[in-house]
Amino acid sequence: MPDPHISVTLVNELNLLAAGLFLLATFGLVATRQVLDCVALFAGQSVLLAASAALLGHEAASDHLYAVAAITIVAKALLIPWLLRRTASEAVVARREISQVLNIPTSLLIALGLTILAYFLAAPLRAAAPSGQVGVNLPIGLAALLIGAFTVTVRREALPQVLGLLSMENGAFFAGVAIAPDLPLFAELAAAFDVLVIALVMGLLTRKLHERAGSTSVADLTDLREE
Amino acid sequence: MVLWFILTLPLIAAALALWASRHRTVPGGVTVLATALQLLLALAVAARCASGAMVTALPGWVSCDAFGALVLALCAFAGFTAALFSIGFTRRATQPMEAGRVRRYFVRFNLFLVPVLAVPLLSNVALVWIAVALTTLLSIFLVSFDQSTAALEAAWKYAILTSMGAALALFGVLVLYWAMRQGGAEDFTWSGLAAAAGAMPPLLVKTAFLFMLVGYGTKAALVPFHSWLPDVYSQAPVPICALLSVVETTTLPYVIVRLLPLFPGKAGDGAGRWLLAFGLLSAVGAALLLVQVKDLKRLFAYSTIENAGIILTAAGLGGAAGYGSVYQLMNHALAKPFGFFAAGAALLFAGTTEIAAVQGLGRRSPLAGAALLAGALAVTGAPPFALFLSELSILQGGAVDHRFLPVALLTLCMVGAFCAVLYHVTRMVFGRASATGPLPAFPRSYALALFVAFVPVVLLGVSLPASVEHLLRLAAMALAR
Amino acid sequence: MIAHLLYNVLQALVVLLFAPLMAGISSKLKERLQSHRGPSVFQPYYDLWKLFHKDEIVSHESTWIFRVTPYVVFVAPLFVALLIPVLTDYPLFFAFMGDMLGGGFILALGGFFATLAAIDTANPYGPMGASRTRMVGFLAEPVFMIVFFTVSVVAGSTIPYIVQQRWVHPPANFFDPAHVLLMIAFFMLILAETGRLPVDNPSGHFELAMIDESKGLEYSGRGAALMKWGGAMKFFVLLCIFLNVLVAPWGLASSQSFTAVLAAIPLVLLKMVLCILALVGVESSFAKLRLFRITEFLGAAFVVCVAALLIRLMEL
Repeated sequence: MPDPHISVTLVNELNLLAAGLFLLATFGLVATRQVLDCVALFAGQSVLLAASAALLGHEAASDHLYAVAAITIVAKALLIPWLLRRTASEAVVARREISQVLNIPTSLLIALGLTILAYFLAAPLRAAAPSGQVGVNLPIGLAALLIGAFTVTVRREALPQVLGLLSMENGAFFAGVAIAPDLPLFAELAAAFDVLVIALVMGLLTRKLHERAGSTSVADLTDLREE
Repeated sequence: MVLWFILTLPLIAAALALWASRHRTVPGGVTVLATALQLLLALAVAARCASGAMVTALPGWVSCDAFGALVLALCAFAGFTAALFSIGFTRRATQPMEAGRVRRYFVRFNLFLVPVLAVPLLSNVALVWIAVALTTLLSIFLVSFDQSTAALEAAWKYAILTSMGAALALFGVLVLYWAMRQGGAEDFTWSGLAAAAGAMPPLLVKTAFLFMLVGYGTKAALVPFHSWLPDVYSQAPVPICALLSVVETTTLPYVIVRLLPLFPGKAGDGAGRWLLAFGLLSAVGAALLLVQVKDLKRLFAYSTIENAGIILTAAGLGGAAGYGSVYQLMNHALAKPFGFFAAGAALLFAGTTEIAAVQGLGRRSPLAGAALLAGALAVTGAPPFALFLSELSILQGGAVDHRFLPVALLTLCMVGAFCAVLYHVTRMVFGRASATGPLPAFPRSYALALFVAFVPVVLLGVSLPASVEHLLRLAAMALAR
Repeated sequence: MIAHLLYNVLQALVVLLFAPLMAGISSKLKERLQSHRGPSVFQPYYDLWKLFHKDEIVSHESTWIFRVTPYVVFVAPLFVALLIPVLTDYPLFFAFMGDMLGGGFILALGGFFATLAAIDTANPYGPMGASRTRMVGFLAEPVFMIVFFTVSVVAGSTIPYIVQQRWVHPPANFFDPAHVLLMIAFFMLILAETGRLPVDNPSGHFELAMIDESKGLEYSGRGAALMKWGGAMKFFVLLCIFLNVLVAPWGLASSQSFTAVLAAIPLVLLKMVLCILALVGVESSFAKLRLFRITEFLGAAFVVCVAALLIRLMEL
């Protein structure tokens, strides 16, 4: 039974699929216990971001978005996991059984709630300026932004916090490829550079924390709670 | 051309500091020279902008108007004084054998200055976002210079929270770009956006503004998002505190306030109300928190939050108070480094920053005691100092526009902050000396930094030169909506 | 009409006859993947044959429930086989007698009786396994519900024959995220519902760690054979729902001729073997989850489902 609401082109469906899996990867970052899996999930999320950019680029016949996809793949899917693994020491990356503030089903339910919130937040924006694939990418990107922030607050381990941060950025850009497809390429490059600096600096800081405090559990950082 | 010089000078200085690895003194010397040159260039730019001209290096990407020039000059000044202070600081904080640490400190110091100076010089909004994000990232290892667990913890909080803010602001930037394209404009610069303001969908602009306000507000440590700032200031080296404090109260209000022209006519009230809410919350919250402070550097940290709140409140009030907002921004950026340097000197003689443990600082070192007292008076806006005039002009401006409730609240928190800071500081300065032991010599670079930072605070408190006032007036036009 | 009725019966027969084969292939593949030789793929048939020829022992303490349960467990999947597309991609005689929800209820009825029977004998391991099964069941049921709801939102129906057409007309619909996410979620559900790793270990022999197996410990002879056969058929039916309804109706007969329907049997079995290969791969690469981690596993399946639903809503 064909549904009149659904746009039937393959590109649309594939972009939707990328969006769905992107959201799933974001959920995964909330709930995965092993640091290495988190890193892999982040890389996967970045690949999906690049896929969405490439698909939108195909639709709009814009070389610009292809370039964005390429930048994303190189910077986020390849360099960042490599950097994080290089800078943070083995003991940090190989950690398993990360403890969380909330248990995993609760976190996942909250993340679902945030997704619904993002959907309702994005609805009036879509209505204000309807254009193309915005309807898909904007709510999903916003959801990833919110869930990323939630990940940072709920995680108690250094590297997953950083990955939550980076996934916030991915979320913003996931919306960005649809709402700001022709952002100057120089700005995109600079943003990729910025993300790399985040990974490098935070990786190094994690390493130092591990050396000094003997643990990368952020829960152990309570020295400065004197107010 | 001059703008390119300003941006490349710190890079050159960083390279030189890196290259001169053997010598302990070279990195510091190079840094002081470079920052002095930056200051001169920035003042030259400001002078040109004060006559109403735009200084442009690359149209659409790098240019500077009066507001930008003001922020640029203030940051350059703070950079210069902090560099001066850093020489003495690194000498005292490191062992003779640790030339590497000193070199790293100055390399990072210079690298940090690049994005700080870039924020007012860049005109493309997306690039401004990147510069703001980089100011955090490049200052993390300056904050954790001490290498202790506590310092690393502070650096971690700082990095995580402000980067979260940056991600939110990024979303705001992208939505703003969307709004601009919907409005049919091409030019993603401050001026281009202001020109297209009428055509953009108001809902999108408002969304973008809120995301950017929250995002940049986290970096500016506005009150619901301020928790990282006192921790960072209690752990970071004194010159870094001074510099960060100036960065947070100049560049971030700058990028937030720059959005105001996007709300033409009636819509401006909405944006103003948000600024007012966040500003007042920060000012009042910080004034309350000031009362219970136990650490000298945290004291100045909360005062920074309070001032950021005052600046944004005044910008939110708009109208006659808009000028006061810019004025306050300038005076605070001049006074706060002095306050931190005084705290650094006090730390040197008292041995601790814990307020309750220190007494009779004035007895032990009259210079440090006097400096601390003067610093406390300067940052809270006591009469002989410049901040008094700007606070007065904000209150006057608000009263002229019949905005009595915000004015009353602002007055209350200004007075409250004044009493709280003075209460803590007088207890430290007067009374019988608590610390004993050999008296350390007052480092020359400390004295020099204190003096250089002190001069403008007093001079501007006595009289405002016509050229500076003109620059301020031009800068305040950026707030007009 | 008569042909449709005939095909429908044929479907049930296929389920009845080939279910043990699939169980055999599954255990053979699993052993092979772990570098063992493994039993013959026909081993389940030999087992059934042997069990049917053995005496049945029934405890005096047990009630009629214990005696009825094997028949319920045996018959329930056969009823479901009448409702779902096993061989054809056009609706058959009983197709509109019940939707996916109805099929789910019938399967659940079998599970319900199995649970009661396990408690009935007062064997210490039975109730333990039963309570654990119920725990998994309670967690799995909302996911089933959300799967069906999502299906009904996307396809506008929960009749399996209508749903299966939705994914391939037009072909781009196959990549509909709701579809892909549903497939992932249902795959996870099959793992949980048929007592496979990482939720349960079907080849474990340690009663304390059993979830699904311990319920049938008291049965012997014919009862045990029926329980075993019923379990294999449930697995077969679930695979049918997954492969033919939720993935795509590929390989099913689309013409009315009898030869086409017969030709569909090997194709469907091939599809199932491929799917079993994937299942076995999953089973061999994961360790069994701790009991309290099962909530997380099914929570993840739930999230996947709701994500599918949300994406679907955003599409509109």
